[in-house]
Amino acid sequence: MAFEISKMRNIGISAHIDSGKTTLSERILFYCNKIHAIHEVRGKDGVGATMDSMELERERGITIASAATNVQWKDTTINLIDTPGHVDFTIEVERSLRVLDGAVLVLCSVGGVQSQTLTVDRQLKRYHVPRLAFINKADRTGANPFRVKNQIVEKLGLNAAFVTMPIGLEDKLEGLVDLIMMKAVYFDGEGGIDIRYAEIPAHLAADAAKYREELLDCASMFSDELAEAYLEGAETPEMIKAAIRKGTIAQQFVPVFVGSAYKNKGVQLLLDGVVDFLPDPTEVKNIALDLDKNEAEQVVVCDAKLPTVALAFKLEDGQYGQLTYVRIYQGELKKGSELFNTRARKKFKVGRLVRMHASAMEDISEGGPGDIVALFGIECASGDTFCDPSVNFAMTSMFVPEPVISLAITPSDKKSSDQMSKALNRFTKEDPTFQTFVDPESNETIIKGMGELHLEVYIERMRREYKCEVTTGMPQVAYREAISQRAEFNYTHKKQTGGSGQYGRVAGYMEPIDGAVYEFVDSIKGGSIPNEYIPSCDKGFKEAVKKGSLIGFPVVNIRCVINDGASHAVDSSDIAFQLAAIGAFREAYEKAKPAILEPIMKVVAEGPAEFQGNIFASVNQRRGLITASTEEASFCRVEAEVPLSEMFGYSTVLRSMTQGKAEFSMEFLKYGKVPTSVSEQLRKEYEEQRRKEQGR
Amino acid sequence: MLKEELIKKSPVRVLERGIEGGLKAGNIGVIASRKGIGKTSVLVQLALDKLMQGKKVIHVSFTTHTSYVISWYENIFNEVAKRKNLEDYSSVHDDLMKNRVIMNFNQEGVSTDQILKSLRAMIVDGGFDADAVIADGFDFARADAGHFSQVRAFAAEMKLEFWYSCTMTGEEPLLDKKNVPVILRPFLDEIAVLIVLDPKAEYIHFVVVKDHGRMNPSDLSIKLDAKTLLIAEA
Repeated sequence: MAFEISKMRNIGISAHIDSGKTTLSERILFYCNKIHAIHEVRGKDGVGATMDSMELERERGITIASAATNVQWKDTTINLIDTPGHVDFTIEVERSLRVLDGAVLVLCSVGGVQSQTLTVDRQLKRYHVPRLAFINKADRTGANPFRVKNQIVEKLGLNAAFVTMPIGLEDKLEGLVDLIMMKAVYFDGEGGIDIRYAEIPAHLAADAAKYREELLDCASMFSDELAEAYLEGAETPEMIKAAIRKGTIAQQFVPVFVGSAYKNKGVQLLLDGVVDFLPDPTEVKNIALDLDKNEAEQVVVCDAKLPTVALAFKLEDGQYGQLTYVRIYQGELKKGSELFNTRARKKFKVGRLVRMHASAMEDISEGGPGDIVALFGIECASGDTFCDPSVNFAMTSMFVPEPVISLAITPSDKKSSDQMSKALNRFTKEDPTFQTFVDPESNETIIKGMGELHLEVYIERMRREYKCEVTTGMPQVAYREAISQRAEFNYTHKKQTGGSGQYGRVAGYMEPIDGAVYEFVDSIKGGSIPNEYIPSCDKGFKEAVKKGSLIGFPVVNIRCVINDGASHAVDSSDIAFQLAAIGAFREAYEKAKPAILEPIMKVVAEGPAEFQGNIFASVNQRRGLITASTEEASFCRVEAEVPLSEMFGYSTVLRSMTQGKAEFSMEFLKYGKVPTSVSEQLRKEYEEQRRKEQGR
Repeated sequence: MLKEELIKKSPVRVLERGIEGGLKAGNIGVIASRKGIGKTSVLVQLALDKLMQGKKVIHVSFTTHTSYVISWYENIFNEVAKRKNLEDYSSVHDDLMKNRVIMNFNQEGVSTDQILKSLRAMIVDGGFDADAVIADGFDFARADAGHFSQVRAFAAEMKLEFWYSCTMTGEEPLLDKKNVPVILRPFLDEIAVLIVLDPKAEYIHFVVVKDHGRMNPSDLSIKLDAKTLLIAEA
């Protein structure tokens, strides 16, 4: 095995967009001696940061795809997973969180805790990821890391304390104070590579003592040894570090680092923090589902001798062909060994095995437990589990939200048409929240995703990576239909005029249910419908719920129960009962008072308090429901629930309304009933569209 | 129990009977006590009672985070709904919470003017036609002189009931001879209804100190359960 597991870290960098995450990643790579020059994210030399492998990202200055990069810091191996910051790509974030053992939460010294910081932090909490905080950009005008630290405590509800504090701020940022060693730290030389320790400047001594006390008060909670030693004034750096580590891994404490990646200040101390405070793979409990035991939970153990269990968390179509990034949870992954894909139920042989560095890769012959490696030429989807053929596990299924928005795309020429299917095939494999299908009626290709930007990015990628030009239709909200009361049906499907006939009668009722999309219940006593045709009824209902009669969207939260029926010795058939069920569904549907449901988004808008009225008004105009607003000094934050259909183009509106000073994020919250006026409008549009199509 | 019945049987009705039929729009009411007696719980129950009646409530919090305020409402609503066996629980819940908005201020950096401006923005721009404002965690010791007269004028203009909680702190005695919390004396003219929560051995009593024009009328025949912090008839 290549490394000692205790000297291995799998970490991610999570942040609000523009808090300098990519620059930080870049500096980490630099200090780990993997790259030779530092390029800025929006560099003048056009080289761009190494982690942003995609051209598109380079142009937008944001990181979209997560790539795992292997670096060496002192004697520790760190797999760095760069996670995207934009909320429209949360599936990418969430998928990377699944394979992380720890994270660095990057915050901006000026912007502080922003809406996406909250989203990202919530995700980290959901996946129980221990974290360090790095308050970046302490060199910026208006930087106030102390305020940001208070926000971490108040807004994120985290128990946090500084482990480093700045010496000077804004353009006077000189270095940092290491509050554990109680030394001033300066970063000299080109790229701040030479670390110089010195005495703490006299004017900061009192502050340093105060923050050290705060840190020790927090850390003492996790170690009796430290608490006792601290009382006697005999604490050692080792004791403090051990206590912080314990609290951090238990997710009860967050050590806060300060610095400026851009000015090369503090990154090395953060890297030491990653080693000192974040867990190694053996310190994190991971659970798989045993598919042979009805998905019973099974702890996977970070041990090379046990059968292999690995998760494919990322596919990439790079310059080297298809790459599959996997996290090994248990056992080893060896070149030439045979593995079993438990979703596809297919065996395959491990071919080329590599470890990825920023933009280069290294061929390896095996990967150990806890490690992240990449495989070549494996046919799979992301989220698949690879096991030794002796076990049949699936790593806990990741939470995959349903797409809420769709868009029709048409290739502009024949060549684009071929490329388009290639691209879509790739994207749907990479991203489970991105889906595509061909609408059988309009014959158009429809793509579905989590938001406008989400779909835009894929269209851009088609253009750039696949040279595929498409024209797009208007974005469409994924409505649903649902019934609101129970209704009976008793329907006979009969076609007995000449030739072989069709006959089937289906009786029963439909009713609304919570928590399930569709349920079929057979409560027929006495065989009024022959057993062989029961699945036909189920099939018929399933077909019927695909398209409700209000506006042609899927019907959800419904239970169809059959309790009676009739058949004909000759004329009954599978298809006859399917059609009978469809007829029965249509008969009862109107009586069951169907309603249209629409996706409601949780929207968080923030900006200067002077624009609060504008934000309220804009939410109000969009049928939104303001749920909370927070005002602090001159800053406001508005939380609201707004129908997705009303949110198109909101970023432009908000920007122009607030001179670009406010921003917002949104994520899917729930489906809610549309008001009558909107429902009528939608139904009218649907009728018109149908009439047009029939006229064609 | 149906929602209508729950409203009729609410102990808040008893409270209202004790203060000439309620606080009424345009007025300021204050629930005062020492720290940790149950003021927030009382305020939330007053708010939930209004919400039950289909009225709209702005909950203004000066101290606690939005999510804590939400859990106060959730916990008390669940507790009451469970005890009274409320029918159609989840749709009643959703209807109620739709009519509540939480506003969070940091009293330190935000002036009365700014608070009222934000409330006005919520009501006018946000289209949130509020009937009552519940203000929790306001520090009376730090109130600027004109705060309550401004709020009262605003309440009258917007036809709002304003309920504040007031934590009595400082040196003993906390109450003057007329039972008025010392901390509230400068503002007494602006306060229409003043109730002091007085913890006794088993229950917390509601002592009405000021009821519109009258000082120290008889006590209310309701009490606060010290364990559940729910209002009950005495």
